Amino acid sequence: MDLLNAIVAFLNYVFVPGVAYGSQLALGALGVTLVYGILRFSNFAHGDTMALGAMATVLVTWLFQSWGISLGPLPTALLALPFGIAFAILLLLFTDRTVYRFYREKKAKPVILVIVSLGITFIYNGVTRFIIGADDQNFFDGQRFIISAREFKKATGLDEGLSFKTTQGITIITAIIVVALLFWFLNRTRAGKSMRAYSDNEDLALLSGINPERVVMITWMIVATLATIAGVLYGLDKSFKPFTYFQLLLPIFAAAIVGGLGNPIGAIAGGFVIAFSEVTITYAWKKILVYLMPDSLEPSGLVQLMSTDYKFAVSFVILLIVLLIKPTGLFKGQST
Amino acid sequence: MSSDPYDDRGNKDASITNPKGMGSQIPKSSGTSFSAPGGPFLIGDTMTGGYGKGPDILHDCTIAVEQGEIAVIVGPNGAGKSTAMKAVFGMLDVRSGSVRLDGEDITNLSPQDRVAKGMGFVPQTSNIFTSMTVEENLEMGAFIRRDDFSDTMAQVYDLFPILKEKRRQAAGELSGGQRQQVAVGRALMTQPKVLMLDEPTAGVSPIVMDELFDRIIEVARTGIPILMVEQNARQALEIADKGYVLVQGANAYTGTGKELLADPEVRKSFLGG
Repeated sequence: MDLLNAIVAFLNYVFVPGVAYGSQLALGALGVTLVYGILRFSNFAHGDTMALGAMATVLVTWLFQSWGISLGPLPTALLALPFGIAFAILLLLFTDRTVYRFYREKKAKPVILVIVSLGITFIYNGVTRFIIGADDQNFFDGQRFIISAREFKKATGLDEGLSFKTTQGITIITAIIVVALLFWFLNRTRAGKSMRAYSDNEDLALLSGINPERVVMITWMIVATLATIAGVLYGLDKSFKPFTYFQLLLPIFAAAIVGGLGNPIGAIAGGFVIAFSEVTITYAWKKILVYLMPDSLEPSGLVQLMSTDYKFAVSFVILLIVLLIKPTGLFKGQST
Repeated sequence: MSSDPYDDRGNKDASITNPKGMGSQIPKSSGTSFSAPGGPFLIGDTMTGGYGKGPDILHDCTIAVEQGEIAVIVGPNGAGKSTAMKAVFGMLDVRSGSVRLDGEDITNLSPQDRVAKGMGFVPQTSNIFTSMTVEENLEMGAFIRRDDFSDTMAQVYDLFPILKEKRRQAAGELSGGQRQQVAVGRALMTQPKVLMLDEPTAGVSPIVMDELFDRIIEVARTGIPILMVEQNARQALEIADKGYVLVQGANAYTGTGKELLADPEVRKSFLGG
C-alpha cells in the first residue's frame, strides 16, 4: 500500500507535470532548432514570438467568450489557436521581409543575425506588453480536470490522489500530433526535403533549383506555428504572463543545445531532459520518501535539492555540462 | 578591424551560429536571355571577369563544347580553370564577353535559370547533400522537374550501379569515388543538355579515377556534351575531343586532345616532358 502511495505521489507531482512541461519545452526547442538548422542562427526572439502568438490567441479567446462560443469541456483557446497561429505567421513573415532579408541578401554572418534577433526580442517584448499589459491573464475555461485527486482517492482508496489536468492532457496529445506531422513533413514531402537540402548545402540547393526565399518562408511559417502552439499550451497550463516567455528562453535553448542544435529529435529529447531535471531537482521528495522509508529514518527536512526559485539554474548547469563534455549534444547536432 | 560590417568578427561559437553549408554571394543578374543562333553548342566567348569587385581573373578566355563532345580545360594551378567554368555557369561577374547555349545568349541569367535552360553543374567541393540519403540527393537533383523522374533515376542507377545498392545510405557516409558518382548522378537528374564537371577526380585514388573517367565517357556516349576541368592533364586529354590549356586566365593552347598531347610546347610545360 505504501509503495502504491509512493508511486501515485510520484506520478502526481513529478511525472505528469514533467511530461507536460517537457512537451512544451520540446515544442519550443523544435522552433529554435529549425531556425538554427535552416536560417543558421540562434533566434533569441523565439520566446517573445511565443508570447505574441499566445497573446493573439488570448485576445481571440476573450472575443469568443464574449460571444458565448465555447468548446464545452475543452478550453475555448483551442478554437482561437488557428487565429493566433495565423497572426504569428504574418508577424514573422513581416519581420523577415523588413529585417532579416536585408541581412540575408548581404550574406551577413550568422552572429550578426543573432544580435538582430535580440533587437527583435525587445521590440516583440514591448509590443506584447503594450497591447496586453505585463500582468497575469487568465484565459482558461472548460473542465479543469480529466482525473481529479478527490475522485481518484475515492475510487482507489489510496491516501495519495492523482490529478490529471485537462491542460496537461491537451498538451501531451497536441505535442504528439504536432511532432508527428513535423517529421512527416520534413522527411516525406518535397518541400520538407528541400528544407533539409537547403540546411545541408545552400549553394548546391540553389544549383538544384530550390528557391531559397521559399524555403525561408516555409521555415518561418512552421516556426510561428510551433511557437504559438507551445506558447498557448504553456499559458493554459500555467498562466499567460508576457515576461515568463522571455524567461522560458533559457530552458528552451538548453533543451535544443542538450539534444544537439539543428537536430529535431534532439530538441524533443532535450526538452524532456531539461523538464525532468528541473522538476526532480526542485521537488520536495519528503512526500514520497515517507512512504518508502521506515519510520525511524523519516527525513526531517523537505529533501528538496534546490528551491524552485533556482529552477533556471538547473537548465543553466545542464547546458554548461553538455557544452563542456559533449558540445554537439546528445544526438549529433550541427554545432561541431 | 575588418572593413566588412557583416562578417563574424572572429566569432567561433557554434552554439549560437551555424555557418556550415552557408551559401556564397552570387552575382546579381538581370535574368533575360535572347536568341543568338550559330556557333558551338555551348560557348563562353572572350570572357573577362572576376569575383565581386575584385580584379579580373579571366582575360578574353574562350571555352566551347560541341554536341556529343568532351572538352577539357587543363592548366597549371591558379590558371583560372575552375574560374572559367564558374564564369560559364554564371557564378562570376563576367564584365565583357558572352555565354551562349544552344543558340541562345544566356550571359545575363542566374545560375538557377541556367539549370532550367539545361546546364548541369557539378562543383568541385561540397557537391552532395551529405546528411541526405543517396536517393534523396537524386530527388533533389530533379527538384525543378514536375514530371515523373523515375526513368531518369533508373538510368542513373544503371550508370552507377553502386548507388542503387547504397540508395538508403546517407551520402556523407560514402567513399570519395562514390560521392563523386552521387554528385554526377544528381546533376544528370535534370536531364541536362550539357554537363559541366569541375575536377571530378580530385582526391580519389588512381584506380577510382580510371573508373570515373570510364563512367564520364559512358555519359558522353549517351549524347550529352561534357565540359570538364581536370588536374590529371594527360589522362583527361586522352579522352578529350577538344582541349584548352589556360595560363593566367587566358587561352594558351587550344586543339584536339591528341594535338595537345603531341604538341612539344604543351608537353614540356604541362605534361612533364
